[in-house]
Amino acid sequence: MAVASPSPSESVADHFARFGLAPRYAIDRDALESEYLRRAAQTHPDRFVGRPSGEQRAAMEAAAAINEGYRILRDPVQRAEYLCKLAGIDLDSSDPRGGAPHMSQAFLVEMIERREKVESARAEGASALQALRDQVEGEADETLDEAADALDDDDPNGAARLLVKRRYLQRLLDEIDGEH
Amino acid sequence: MAYSDKVIDHYENPRNVGSLDKSDDNVGTGIVGAPACGDVMKLQIRVEDGVITDAKFKTYGCGSAIASSSLVTEWVKGMKVEDAMEIQNSQIAEELSLPPVKIHCSVLAEDAIKAAIRDYQSRQAAEPADEEGAR
Ligand code: FES
Repeated sequence: MAVASPSPSESVADHFARFGLAPRYAIDRDALESEYLRRAAQTHPDRFVGRPSGEQRAAMEAAAAINEGYRILRDPVQRAEYLCKLAGIDLDSSDPRGGAPHMSQAFLVEMIERREKVESARAEGASALQALRDQVEGEADETLDEAADALDDDDPNGAARLLVKRRYLQRLLDEIDGEH
Repeated sequence: MAYSDKVIDHYENPRNVGSLDKSDDNVGTGIVGAPACGDVMKLQIRVEDGVITDAKFKTYGCGSAIASSSLVTEWVKGMKVEDAMEIQNSQIAEELSLPPVKIHCSVLAEDAIKAAIRDYQSRQAAEPADEEGAR
């Protein structure tokens, strides 16, 4: 059997294209999984033993890109954030241009106040803390759904704003869980 | 994440944690957030005769953000308002030996002190107008 050599464009292709998927929030998870397994087997280092080192390196890079793409696409939050990135908005950057959008002062004040309240809920007991957690988690899920709708409506800026809001809610959840 | 000794010191014994009365016209309050991680910081200053006499903070964020805000409150006490406005995140990052991935945490502290000063200044600018209106 011939050794499939990874295409040279592998490292620049976007992750959706890498798995033959349309760049949309809704994806066919089974298709993603089977394509991942197929591509991972194709680029597995064992298949390149004894090949020229350039080919080995290209295969390794392709395998790394496939693993990263799979990790991002199978996670709904990361997939949504990645779609924003494809649209030119990098949520991991604080750059005012092309970075994560800044939230309103009112929202930040609300987040400070809510984070202050975590301690009092903790002092009230486990059920109060759980109720707060459920509420915040529900909000975070809803916000992700809204971001998905915005992406479907071809509104990456609106989606980015919602995804940043979700990050603040996630940090609030982390605080409730004591992961700080 | 390997934190420097100074970060750990400020993280374990943060200086000046707390709040000042935000309705006091001599108090400026800055509330800022880091959109890339979702952390939030509140920093307040009290000013008398153009000098910062007290500073408090509450930071809901990582160790570097807590250390950065703790350090800034220490620095600004006794400083003139104009001088405090000059504080740069690079000075904070250098003092705490922050690694590149934690630079945004020191940016948060710079943004917070600037926001607090601006809030104080706008209160001072608004004050005489209010008095005139009351007359
Ligand atoms: S990681 Fe968010 S402020 Fe440090």
